[in-house]
Amino acid sequence: MDELNREVAKLFAAKDARRRRLAALPFPEKIRMLVQLQRMAAPILRARGRDVRPWNIGKLDRAE
Amino acid sequence: MEPTLQILNELEQAGVLGRYAIGGAMGATFYVEPLLTFDLDIFVVLPETPAGLLTLAPLYDALRGRGYAEAGECVEIEGVPVQFLPAFNPLLREALAEARETLYEQTPTRVLCAEHLLVIALQTGRNKDRERVRLLNEQAQLDRDYLTSVLQRHGLEARWREWTS
Repeated sequence: MDELNREVAKLFAAKDARRRRLAALPFPEKIRMLVQLQRMAAPILRARGRDVRPWNIGKLDRAE
Repeated sequence: MEPTLQILNELEQAGVLGRYAIGGAMGATFYVEPLLTFDLDIFVVLPETPAGLLTLAPLYDALRGRGYAEAGECVEIEGVPVQFLPAFNPLLREALAEARETLYEQTPTRVLCAEHLLVIALQTGRNKDRERVRLLNEQAQLDRDYLTSVLQRHGLEARWREWTS
């Protein structure tokens, strides 16, 4: 059980570290990630009745 | 998003907006991990009409004149739905006055400072604002003395204690 707790604690610590790395990214990079998030979330939200559309930012498409 | 900010800058220079800054989830994203949102919240100081009224109508007219259509409560500017929120209370006016100047790629813009974003979320008080307060408190580099002074000025220390205890 202790071994399992140690593994879970390690996983949470890694998640926390990743979030802090994301927080430290430059703002334009975060916007590119946000649009990817929008593209992933939009079909699910639309299926639940929310009228959402990912941003149509040309520069993002060129960067991909 | 850069062309969107360029249009906002043009509107500010033309006097259609008094002053603007990015707030809401996009503002928070400046300081924390990317937060899912589908609109860009822009806090604005609006010029008063001759009758002393504050109205978004001249701003919407100017945007319509440039070919940007209203879509629900937003106006879509260069592919980004923008929601304009007038600075209607002392906290929002202070937040706008003290917003941080920054560059988005090559374009100058302003973002509300992390301490004000946190206190605005606290004041707004919805469930999703609790999550925003938590994220800003955990991930943003906050000036704790400044945060305390903002909380005190706007009478939100008790809620801050309640939400973070």
